[in-house]
Amino acid sequence: MTVLVIGGAASGKSEYAENLLCRLSGDAPKVYVATMEPHGAEAVARIAKHRKARTGKGFVTLERCTNLAGLRVPKQCAVLLEDLGNLCANEMFSPRGSGDGAEASILRGLRYLRGQCAHVVIVSNEIFCGGTAYSGETLRYLRTLARLHREIAATVDGVCEVVCGIPAYYKGAERFAKL
Amino acid sequence: MIFIFGSLYSGKRAVAASILHCKVEELSNFAVWDVQELAAQADNLEALADELSHYKAVIATETGGGVIPVDASERAAREAAGRLNCLLAERAETVVRVFCGIPLVIRGDLPC
Repeated sequence: MTVLVIGGAASGKSEYAENLLCRLSGDAPKVYVATMEPHGAEAVARIAKHRKARTGKGFVTLERCTNLAGLRVPKQCAVLLEDLGNLCANEMFSPRGSGDGAEASILRGLRYLRGQCAHVVIVSNEIFCGGTAYSGETLRYLRTLARLHREIAATVDGVCEVVCGIPAYYKGAERFAKL
Repeated sequence: MIFIFGSLYSGKRAVAASILHCKVEELSNFAVWDVQELAAQADNLEALADELSHYKAVIATETGGGVIPVDASERAAREAAGRLNCLLAERAETVVRVFCGIPLVIRGDLPC
């Protein structure tokens, strides 16, 4: 099963995604794929906060800021990828990213994960409700992430938006909403 | 009229084409989009909503979700866009919100 979990800042999407993966995974090993590049005090503090929240849930953490397809995870494991917005920015703007090939690189990585794993939960960001007054790189980033969202949503088993910690399902409600 | 709205790049036009059984390239024959931009320039939003209701589908990008703009004209444009959405929803048989390319029917039923 693959589920796309989208939410705004501090919407409770991470906690919901972690719990969803725990319920889906059963005895499968759980792998947390962390995408954030640990640059600066704020990023370091955020990473520590997320690590603490995962303590005791049995996750092995793998850091992967770019080139998702180069990651190696055990067969039939359950993966939580956090998060797509971050990975997309790294691929587009980081010196080690794939630049214009960001979208293709991410989709290739997701194909690998979905082929290899029993379950994949993808966390991403709702950043599209603030109007249309953007330009340049920001607009290019929004367009790329939105395209990824649509392409992923079309093929996965579940799509939900987390609002106030509550998942609202647009796809796969019958399978996932009651989990 | 079917009113279709959603956030930026959410796939609204593809959804509209699928509902109207046409190609995206043919959509301009049946539908109008980016009506939030028309709202900003309109003197009379009611009249604009009436006029737009003649299309089979009217498509708007949601612009009311971010921080209140510092610029007064942007604030006014955002107000007008939100108000127009309400007026269009009142006139629509079916209201659809699009999220990541997935339509969610908020009110009414989709035509077969």
